[in-house]
Amino acid sequence: MTDSPRSRIFARVSRAQNEADATTIQRELEALGSAPTADLPAADISTAFLTNVLKNQGTVDCAANRSSAVKSVADYLYRHFRSHRLVAGNDPHLAAMPWREAGVLPRFGGVEPGEAVSLSYALLGVAETGAIVTVTGKANPAANNLLSEHHLVMVDSTRLVRDMEGAWERIRRETVKSGWPRGINFIAGPSSTADIEGKLVYGAHGPRQWHVILIGDVPATALEEARALAGQLNQGTS
Amino acid sequence: MASSDGCTSLKQTSNTFLDNAHEALQDAGKVERRNLMAYYMHIVRDAAVDQFGHFEDLRQHVKQVKQHSLEHLEYYLNQFEQAALQNGNHVHFAEDGDQLNSIVLDICQQHSARRIAKGKSMVTEETGLNDYLKRAGMKVVETDLGEYIIQQAGETPSHIVGPALHKSAAEVRELFFAKHDLGERELADTGEMVSEARRVLREHFLKAEVGIIGANALIAENGYSMLVTNEGNGDLCANLPNVLIVCTTLDRVVPRSEDATAMLRLLVRSATGQPQTCYTSFYSGPRREHDIDGPLETHIVLLDNRRTEILASDYREMLQCIRCGACLNHCPIYAGVGGHAYGWVYPGPMGSVLTPLLTSLEQSKALPNACTSCGRCAEVCPADIPLPDLLRDLRHDETRQKLSSSRWRLGMRLHAWLARHPTLYHAVTGLGIFTLHLLGRRKGSFASLPLAAGWTSQRDFPAPEGKTFMHQYSAMHREEKAREHKAAQALEQNTKAGPAAPRRTAQGRTPARRNGTERIEPSLRVDWPRKPDPRKPSGTRPRREGDDSASGKKPAAHPGGPRGKKPRRRPDHD
Ligand code: SF4
Repeated sequence: MTDSPRSRIFARVSRAQNEADATTIQRELEALGSAPTADLPAADISTAFLTNVLKNQGTVDCAANRSSAVKSVADYLYRHFRSHRLVAGNDPHLAAMPWREAGVLPRFGGVEPGEAVSLSYALLGVAETGAIVTVTGKANPAANNLLSEHHLVMVDSTRLVRDMEGAWERIRRETVKSGWPRGINFIAGPSSTADIEGKLVYGAHGPRQWHVILIGDVPATALEEARALAGQLNQGTS
Repeated sequence: MASSDGCTSLKQTSNTFLDNAHEALQDAGKVERRNLMAYYMHIVRDAAVDQFGHFEDLRQHVKQVKQHSLEHLEYYLNQFEQAALQNGNHVHFAEDGDQLNSIVLDICQQHSARRIAKGKSMVTEETGLNDYLKRAGMKVVETDLGEYIIQQAGETPSHIVGPALHKSAAEVRELFFAKHDLGERELADTGEMVSEARRVLREHFLKAEVGIIGANALIAENGYSMLVTNEGNGDLCANLPNVLIVCTTLDRVVPRSEDATAMLRLLVRSATGQPQTCYTSFYSGPRREHDIDGPLETHIVLLDNRRTEILASDYREMLQCIRCGACLNHCPIYAGVGGHAYGWVYPGPMGSVLTPLLTSLEQSKALPNACTSCGRCAEVCPADIPLPDLLRDLRHDETRQKLSSSRWRLGMRLHAWLARHPTLYHAVTGLGIFTLHLLGRRKGSFASLPLAAGWTSQRDFPAPEGKTFMHQYSAMHREEKAREHKAAQALEQNTKAGPAAPRRTAQGRTPARRNGTERIEPSLRVDWPRKPDPRKPSGTRPRREGDDSASGKKPAAHPGGPRGKKPRRRPDHD
C-alpha cells in the first residue's frame, strides 16, 4: 500500500496490538454480553414512556384512535396559536389522518424558516429514556424536528419499546430492507441549554416546546399515573 | 462584526500552571461560582447514578467494550471505514492537527464556501481549526451557545462540557451588547440572552455552506456517527448546510449501535445528570435519493495526533475517556483554579493526563503535579480510568526524564535510598522527629520550617509528639509480645498446677480465649493487619483486575481478552 497518512496510521495501530481473526474478535465481543438498562418508572410500558416524556419536560396527551389524535392536535394548535395550521412530512400515516374532522390544515413537506409548528410521526418511542425516534427522509425531513418552535410528535402505542436495545432491534429488523436511513434521531425533550451560569433554558436552537401524543390502546389511568410519577420522581431528585 | 470575532489562541501555557492558578484565585466572584458549580454538579450526577440502579455494572460493561474496541482497533477502524465509504462518505485520515486543518480547508475551498457553522468539538479545539480557517478568509461561527460565547469573547473553553461556565450572566450580557448590533434592548435574564443568540445563530445556520461537527462515537457495524447535544445545534449543522464534515478521532470507534447507546447512558448521567440528552442523533452520510433535505456531500476526518502512540503505551486506558467532564467537576484543584489555569485544551484530571501525552511532557510537566491524589476522579470516572495512577506514572516519567528540578530529584533519590535501608531510615526519621519535638515542644507547632516553606506559608506545622509512628507501633508490638509470653507462661503453670490456680495469671486476671488466641487488651487493639498483607496492593487506587467477576452480574467470560492483559508496564520511552 502507498505511503499515506492512512497507511501509516494503520501500521501504528497494528503494531500496538496482537493479531486476532474476525471470528475470535466476534466471539470475544459476544462474550461481553449486553449492557444493563435503566429501571423503568412503572411496570406498564405506556405509563413508563409517558412518565419519562414528562420528566424530559415534554407535554403529553393520549388519544384512543386517529380521530381523537387529530382532535388533540387541533386543541393544541388552538390553545397555543388560535390557528389550525401546521407542517408535516410526507408520511403516509399522517396523510391518512382524518384532518378535516377537526378542521386542521396541514401542509405536507419540510418546515420553512418562520413556520411555528411541525408534526412528526415517530418510528418508535423508547420507554427507558422517554425519547421518540424518527428517521430522516421524505416522511420526516430533518428540518421538521429542528426548525419549528413547537414540535408535535405522534407515537403509536404498539411502537413503544422498552429500551434503546429494543429500538436498535426494531430498526435493524424493519429499516434494513429499505436501506439504512441517512439519519436516526432520538429526541427527548425540547431543545435546552445550561451554558450561561448553568441555568437551564428551553428553546436553545431547536423547538421550545415538545408535545407527544400517544395513540392507541393505553390503560385509562396511564396519563394520570405518569403525571403523579413524574411529579414524585422530580421531587425526589431535586 | 467579522473583524471583532474572537480568536482562539492555542498557545500552550501549561507550564506556568502555578502562576495561572495563583492568578485565577484572585477573582473572588469566579472562585465562588466555581465552588457553587462543583457543589451542584456532584449532586446531580450522584442522583442520576443512584436512580439508574446498576451503574457499576454498566460502567464495567462499557469499559470492557471500550477495551475490546481498542484491543482490536485495526479491525474495527477498518470495518468503520468500509461501512462509511459504502454509505457515500469521503473518509480522510489525519496524522496530526495540521493535516486535519488542511483537509478541512481544502474541502471548504473546493465548494467555494465562505460561511461555516460549527458544532461543539474538542478535537478541533485541539487542532486550532477555527484560527486556521479564519486565516484563510472563512467565517466560522461556533453554534453551541457556550462555544459561541467564548468565541465572541476571544477565549478558550474552561470546561469540556460547559465551555463558558466561567462567565457570569452579566459578562455574557455585556458581550452580546458589544457584539450584536441589535439596538436598544434589555437582555434582562438568561432566557432573553439565549433567545438573542438563537436568533443571531439561526441566520447563520441558514446561510452556512459547510457544517462541521464532532462525534461522540463511531459505529463500526454500520458507519454511523453518534452526536449528543441538548441544544440541537449540532443537528442543525449536520442537516442544513450542503456539505458536512465530521471531525473526530480514531479512538471513538465502537463495534455496535448498542455499544454507542450503552456509552450514552454513562456519558449523559456523568456529564449533566440527565438520563438522556435532548438530541441523540446518528448520521450515516449524504442525502438519499428521495430526501428533501440533508447535506449533499459528507466527509469524515479521523485524527490520530498521537493517539496511536498512546495506544501502544501504558497510558492506553486514557483512550477509554468518553469526555464527560465528571473528573473536572469532582476535582478539588479544578474547582479551585478553573480550566484556564491548565493552559491548553483539556483541563482537570483528564487534561493533566492528556495534555502531556498529546503535546509533550516537557511542555506540561506542571500538570501531573496538579493533583492531591484524593482519588475522587477515578471514583466517578464512568470509563473507570485510574487517573491518579496515570498522573503518578507521568510524575515518575518526569523524574526519569530529568524534567523535574534537580533538587527535587536529589531529594527523591535520597529518600529512595533511605527507604531501602530500613534501619537507617528509622534512625534518621526518629532523630528528625525527636529534634522537631524538642524544638516545637513549647509552642506545639511551627510557623515556618526550612525546606517546607511552601507548606508553612499557608498553615502551621504541628510539632511531633516525640516518637515516629513506626517507633510507637513496634513498641506496642513488643509489649504485646511480652504479654503473650507471660500469659503463655502462666497458662503453662496453670496446667501444671491444675485447674484450681487461675489467680496466678499475670495481673491476676484470667486471659480470655478466643479462637485459640489471647484477646489483646482493648487499648491495644489495632484494626490493620499485623503484617502488611501482600495480596493487598498499595497505592492510590485498588487495582480492579478481578473486579468484574467479583462485582457481580457479568463474569469475565473471555480469558484471552483484554481482561487477561499484562499488568501495567512502566512507560519505557525516554
Ligand atoms: S477521564 Fe473519565 S471522568 Fe474524566 S472526562 Fe474522561 S471519562 Fe469523564
